[in-house]
Amino acid sequence: MSHATPVPSPSGRRLLSSRQIVPLLMVLIVGVLVVAPLLRILLATLTPAGLTAWGDVLASAMSQNLWWRPLMNTLILGIGVSAGCLLLGGFVAWLVVMTDVPGRRLLGVMHTLPFMIPSFAAALAWGTLFRNSRMGGSSGFFESNGFLIPDWLAWGIVPVLIVLIAHYYSLAFTIISAALSSVGADLVEAAQMTGARRPRIFFGIVLPVVTPALVSAGSLTLAGAVSNFAAPALLGLPVRMQTLSTRLFGMIEIGQAERGFVLALLLIAVSGVFLFLSDRLVSGRRAFVTVTGKGGRTRRFPLGRWRWPLFAVGLGLALLTTVVPVLVLVASSLAPQTGALFSNWTLHFWLGEGGGQIAQGQAGIFRNSVLIEALFNTLKLGLVVALLSMVLGLALAHTITRHKGTILANALSQLAFLPLLIPSIAFAAAYIALFGAPIGPLPSLYGTFALLVIAAAAHNLPFAVQAGRSVLGQISTDLEESARLTGAGPLRRMWAIIFPLAIRGLLAGAILVFVKMVRDLSLVVLLFSATSPVLSMVAYRYAAEGFMQFANAITVLILVICLAASLVAQALQARVQKWKD
Amino acid sequence: MLKTLKAAVIAAACVPVMAEAQDYDTMTVEELLPLAQAEGSVTVFSLSSRIARVEAAFEEAYPGIDLIGLDMSSAKQIARITAEQDAGVYAVDVLYMADSPVVLRDLLTPGRIHTYVPPRVADQLEERFKMPLLVHRLSTKVLMYNEQFYPDGSPVKNLWQLTLPEWKGKVMMVDPTQRGELLDLLTEIALHPDEMAAAYKAQFGTDIAVDSDLNGAGEQFIRALFMNDLVLVSNSDDLNKAVGTKDATDPPVAFGTYSDRRDNEEEGWALQVANDVEPANGILFPAVLAIADKAPNPAAARLLIDFMFGDDSDDGGPAFAPFNVPGDYATRSTIADDPDSVPLEGLKAWTISSEAIAANRARIADLIITLQ
Repeated sequence: MSHATPVPSPSGRRLLSSRQIVPLLMVLIVGVLVVAPLLRILLATLTPAGLTAWGDVLASAMSQNLWWRPLMNTLILGIGVSAGCLLLGGFVAWLVVMTDVPGRRLLGVMHTLPFMIPSFAAALAWGTLFRNSRMGGSSGFFESNGFLIPDWLAWGIVPVLIVLIAHYYSLAFTIISAALSSVGADLVEAAQMTGARRPRIFFGIVLPVVTPALVSAGSLTLAGAVSNFAAPALLGLPVRMQTLSTRLFGMIEIGQAERGFVLALLLIAVSGVFLFLSDRLVSGRRAFVTVTGKGGRTRRFPLGRWRWPLFAVGLGLALLTTVVPVLVLVASSLAPQTGALFSNWTLHFWLGEGGGQIAQGQAGIFRNSVLIEALFNTLKLGLVVALLSMVLGLALAHTITRHKGTILANALSQLAFLPLLIPSIAFAAAYIALFGAPIGPLPSLYGTFALLVIAAAAHNLPFAVQAGRSVLGQISTDLEESARLTGAGPLRRMWAIIFPLAIRGLLAGAILVFVKMVRDLSLVVLLFSATSPVLSMVAYRYAAEGFMQFANAITVLILVICLAASLVAQALQARVQKWKD
Repeated sequence: MLKTLKAAVIAAACVPVMAEAQDYDTMTVEELLPLAQAEGSVTVFSLSSRIARVEAAFEEAYPGIDLIGLDMSSAKQIARITAEQDAGVYAVDVLYMADSPVVLRDLLTPGRIHTYVPPRVADQLEERFKMPLLVHRLSTKVLMYNEQFYPDGSPVKNLWQLTLPEWKGKVMMVDPTQRGELLDLLTEIALHPDEMAAAYKAQFGTDIAVDSDLNGAGEQFIRALFMNDLVLVSNSDDLNKAVGTKDATDPPVAFGTYSDRRDNEEEGWALQVANDVEPANGILFPAVLAIADKAPNPAAARLLIDFMFGDDSDDGGPAFAPFNVPGDYATRSTIADDPDSVPLEGLKAWTISSEAIAANRARIADLIITLQ
């Protein structure tokens, strides 16, 4: 019985003072958390050395290799990956949420996994299979078995595209399926009763309703692809393919930080153009609110004889993108020789006692005394950051959607997106500068858990905001209006109405943040002073000493944690949204 | 009035402390110890996770002083200490890092760190290891080959061979625009134009013709190496596998780390250093120890640096043990080199000069960027 109405333009409304406080607060928060670090980076490139760096990057003999070619590769990756992710992720989301495909729960869980597996694992898996003679003595699986693998398939843009799509499509899946699940059965039923055919229902109802989610997913995967370092570094460098992110990392690493910052700013500018255009795309269309007071069960499309073939496609995709990389990760935590992944397996790297011949006498990870502590710290960090960024993200997303079309909303939505593109090393340095010294009565936050949490929440803000927006965009203002008229305050409205309705999107976002956080290393290393480590630091220690098996064992452990978290989130969501199945 | 008085009293009280600060550098271990114990802790940033083992040894030797060790890469250490000091935070005492040319330029010259040479071992260190930075040990980036595939020794006797068609696409290194040590290696080669020119003549029998836009034979070599399809990788693990894997057909050679040879048996590799190479097989580069400016625990910081140079035994005892790796070299002359490795004097590698590299590194980086 609900209705789809275009959102009324808010410009004509009178603005109450209480309504102005929240947006102002949001501007302040975004200003401190996002704009200040950005300005700091900008200022660093306006020093004499910085100005030289601008010249070097944009107008010198090096520009070709420092800027233009990496830019081209980055654009191909960004556009290609986000298009691929929308297709794949959208297809799987439709399959899992909207149809009666068998094994929906299984497919749903499996397709959230690829994003939890670090992208280097997928890149490693690709290398294990496709590595060719360009890597000398260590050929991959196919070449060892007599197939000749050409360079273009083993290295460069093609494998990086494939690996990144395999990694990021699950991000798109998570966001799109959260939005699809709020397409009420009533809409679809109404269409069916009036005799609309399936394609018309899809293009006429489903697609317009999930457009905000598609744009969110497209933007996040684009940002992820252009800032990804591991895949282009592992698979691109052997044929000298550089992207802006490998260039940026390299310049900071070899002590030419100004050039790195210039590249970072340019990367932000380029991505900003894309985000602006995609925002235009959405605001040019009519947006629809579908979540009203009486949302019903989701009705599923019967697939008929396509049920099992489509199940096979969905499962096959999940196997390729999750099982293969996970298998490579697990195998590499069991194989004593990093070159021979599937022979002489041992549990030494997990459980073994130290002192033997293996791994220079290092004991297995479960005998490492700091592991349990690190596990605990990691969980604490992940949970607190996920919680804080979701609160921030919900508030921001709410402000943005309720002020849709205004300059304020546009500015907020653009700014809230940028942290993903700021290199963590620059981000962390800015935070030390901002909060290192006491501010007025506030003590210095330097080296505290609190500073790490604030910085991490800001860094992960885009996930939270995008996840929140894609769901909030669908929630009818009527509900809030009626609550407001009956005297409910903003907090109460948030808690009693918005929160339960948006829970699925929020939890989807929280999981993304949690996953990003438990894997993150750069921010933690730069901002945290306590000796008690987190898992990613322990993994780094092992990797730095060349003990890849231990590092991979910890990565598997991190993966298990992420999976557990997402299962808990699903259970939680089922409890809150009792009116759904 | 009272305020001024108070300030004066505080200032007066500070004078002896400041005078003492000047003396930390000349104190013996016995004099430092009680002061360090009063400080109670010492914080160190370390490029090597082996700091965890130093922590255990240090806390056993000097109970009551808590060592807080954080491992992070040199680039991150530089970023962090710069940001901290700009914010007026002085939290770290000791830095243990590589990338000495950047350390020199970004930390030592602006006074963010100071060099402290422990008096106990000062006589046992060569001058070049004490100034401008204190060098703890030397690591390598040298030419490595597969000793199983080439049982008669290195297939390369002259660096210029690497520019020949037979080595096209068969020379590897970690991308020098991603890792400082490799940039240092190429810069060092560029800093030896005469020796590179002589090696060219020895290889080809003619004098080298250097392109007009380049300075000397070293830079010409860098260009020729890249033109010969030098294969770049992102980490040394890929490199070691490619070069070292046993039973490989036609493995490449690579500029890698000599001490990775210690993993040969376990990984099934046959990595060996190509030592008999004209004019050199690569570089030795330092890991440096420094004291942060306004270190909160100045005595404990010095005690730790002293400690990390080990005891008077041949292997440096438990304090140096974590760093006593075959293929790496202690700078302290009393610590003997590993018997199975090429001794330091016998290794045909150039030891980099941080100052010279710092002055030329950016130019070589620019050259490499245009070649990629």
